[in-house]
Amino acid sequence: MSRLTLLYDPSCGLCRRVQGWLAEQPKLVELRMIPIKTKAARKRFPKLNHELTAEDLTAISDQGAVYFGPKAWLMVLWCLSRYREWSYRLAAPELLPTTRRVVSLVSQHRYQISHAAGLSR
Amino acid sequence: MNIEIATYLLYLSITIALTIWVAHTLHKNGRIFLVDVFHGNEPLADSVNHLLVVGFYLINLGYVSLALKLGYNLATPKEGIEALSVKVGTVLLVLGGMHFFNLFIFSRMRRRATMRNAPPPVYPDAFTPVEEV
Repeated sequence: MSRLTLLYDPSCGLCRRVQGWLAEQPKLVELRMIPIKTKAARKRFPKLNHELTAEDLTAISDQGAVYFGPKAWLMVLWCLSRYREWSYRLAAPELLPTTRRVVSLVSQHRYQISHAAGLSR
Repeated sequence: MNIEIATYLLYLSITIALTIWVAHTLHKNGRIFLVDVFHGNEPLADSVNHLLVVGFYLINLGYVSLALKLGYNLATPKEGIEALSVKVGTVLLVLGGMHFFNLFIFSRMRRRATMRNAPPPVYPDAFTPVEEV
């Protein structure tokens, strides 16, 4: 895998903040961000269910492997030089259920969190 | 030659010999780790190995010379041996600490290198065709 494409929600302040942080991190695999439900996203992934991408982060490898929600976040960590080890730790059978719960919770409440943290425009 | 001078000379010969021995062990056995870390690039591994050993010598010999001064007079050979034992013991502990620190660096370098080629942590949920734009 040489590149991972992230379909992110540009209307969420938290997501924009995370995107800015990701841009500064040293990477082992290149990350490319495309806003969800845009022309660019539909053109690049013509067969993908784009309605689903609004619910949670979607990551797609250049070979077309789709990672959704918590798995997409684990893949993002895996792409970062400093956090690759953490992606394995959080994906271990003992921690994966917790990882799923926390990530889903944050994703579902991303607008409230953005608002509470003063990140929404 | 009085007891102090004898103790100092013994201290220096013991600690310098120990430093050389530990550095030699580190140099000989660390090389294999480094060759693996640098994917068989032996000149680079040898270079890094040499640089690490130089640092090791500088820190240890620096500590040995700083810790030389006794600060009190020795009346009997018994006191001389006790003082020598304390000094050599401290140097041994410092050497041990430095040695484990070096091992830690070697293993971390190796783990970083193996991480670079590690597979993704999870299986994909689905596959979709990708149109290169």
